[in-house]
Amino acid sequence: MNFYEHTLIAKQDLSTSELNLVEKKYTDIIAKTDGKVIKVEKWGLLSFAKKIRSYKKGFYIHYKFEAQNKTLEEIKKNSVIDNSLLRHLTVRYKKLDTETEYFKESNEKKK
Amino acid sequence: MKRKNNKFNKRPQNPLNKLSLFQKSDSRFSKKCPLSGKDAPVIDYKNIKLLKRYVSDTDKIMPSRITSVSQNKQRKLTSEIKKAKILGLI
Repeated sequence: MNFYEHTLIAKQDLSTSELNLVEKKYTDIIAKTDGKVIKVEKWGLLSFAKKIRSYKKGFYIHYKFEAQNKTLEEIKKNSVIDNSLLRHLTVRYKKLDTETEYFKESNEKKK
Repeated sequence: MKRKNNKFNKRPQNPLNKLSLFQKSDSRFSKKCPLSGKDAPVIDYKNIKLLKRYVSDTDKIMPSRITSVSQNKQRKLTSEIKKAKILGLI
């Protein structure tokens, strides 16, 4: 078992209920394939540095989890097909840092 | 093998000043790596504030000869900057 971080970028024009479905879909995938979700962070709507597929903004969802190779394949399979996602990135870590949240302040300022 | 870059070491370098390549100022700054040592900032693709300091205006990665980042940390920096670029953060 290794520690991983997975970040999704969902399209801007999704409703909040659809966003929750997207978030739930991937937590389910991790749970189904013997993984363990440690933390889910919602970074909210952030603007891109450059346009991605003619979108200027996107919703960021960030997972921290513990899993095996099997789950990674499953996540990749699903997110490549998924129409509501723009991009995704998984990174492997030896130790997970669950305390520092780099995107928390920017969210509070907007509110 | 040790690289002989005395030419660059003689020149004072300010890591924050992106123009220091072109300007020869007499004031001396530390040549130490700003990212290693005790309580150095964590290099991570989520830490955009730090990464943006090491990217030029045209989104190129700054060479370590200007920023005086150590070789080991420079390698880490480039990989993290590339990850951030994939996510559209930089």
